[in-house]
Amino acid sequence: MKPNFYSILLTVSALLIFGGCATHTRYVETTGPRTIVTTDINIQDFSYAAEDMIKSLLASGALDKTQIQPAMLAISRIVNNTTQQIDTDLLIKKIRVALNQSGKALTTTTMGIGGIAEDPLAQGIHQEKEFYTDKKEPQRLPDFTLSGKIIEKRDRQNEVRQVTYAFQLSLTNNDGLAVWEDEKEISKQSKRGVIGW
Amino acid sequence: MKNITQSIVPACLLASTMFVFTSCTTVNTVERATPIGTKQVIADKRVITDSTLNKKVSIAGVNEGMTQGGFLQVQIEVLNRKNSMQTFSYRFEWFDMNGMLVDTPTSVWIPRQIEGQETLTITAVAPTTTTKDFRVKFMENVRND
Repeated sequence: MKPNFYSILLTVSALLIFGGCATHTRYVETTGPRTIVTTDINIQDFSYAAEDMIKSLLASGALDKTQIQPAMLAISRIVNNTTQQIDTDLLIKKIRVALNQSGKALTTTTMGIGGIAEDPLAQGIHQEKEFYTDKKEPQRLPDFTLSGKIIEKRDRQNEVRQVTYAFQLSLTNNDGLAVWEDEKEISKQSKRGVIGW
Repeated sequence: MKNITQSIVPACLLASTMFVFTSCTTVNTVERATPIGTKQVIADKRVITDSTLNKKVSIAGVNEGMTQGGFLQVQIEVLNRKNSMQTFSYRFEWFDMNGMLVDTPTSVWIPRQIEGQETLTITAVAPTTTTKDFRVKFMENVRND
């Protein structure tokens, strides 16, 4: 039996209709060039900011000026001054990983703001170890603390809207001096009607 | 009919002139005639698969140095050969002594804009002190802006 014109047309139309309704979801490289761009802080924005900060920090040589190498780093407050709810670890973790990888600094997970440790179990083990050890050595204090802020600024001119995110970081030594500071700004523009904000 | 043609032609001319003049903005520069600093320009190997991009945004030179902490630092001078603003993305890859890729969170595709006839310097710092080599990839922006 030969397929007639109408049966072919029906099949093609059905394919088009059902194919058109299907949701196309695909994997993309998070660090790749095909991630989506919106006026919010996108995942790649944290990568751009982290890349710039790490580059600046490693080139500054600020971490080399400690007696014991690698330097010990504690994470202080990272303020989110944007209108969005974001986890600042999306920025800080990348910096921590890169610093650890560089061999220039190690981050403590048993010290935190208000005595709250990032890893309570590690803190408990550390305290117990100190308790059972006869000779108590003073605990090594961090050489540096890392603090920062993420700021959002929105502007508008006619139909063009612009949003700028400023990522600010400071590395403070245990004398209370900011030995390294940097800022990375990311600006995005959109036209009204494309993205409704 | 003649009246319509007479009014359309000047309008088209005006529109195309406006388009040409508004889309072409180039950069003027000034610098020291005999620079004090000397660049450590290295010989590079280029693989061009996108000649369209290369005709628009080309690599003028690769400069290499070391940071005080012993990290390899690379600067790439990029030139926009066109008179209009261009966009591109780049990514640095780093290799150790054995030629193995060093996986790092800093290796991401970074989009950049370059104005007409502008020279842009892209800087990168190696993730470890044991990193010996690098490779930089360039491509046109593929995001739907």
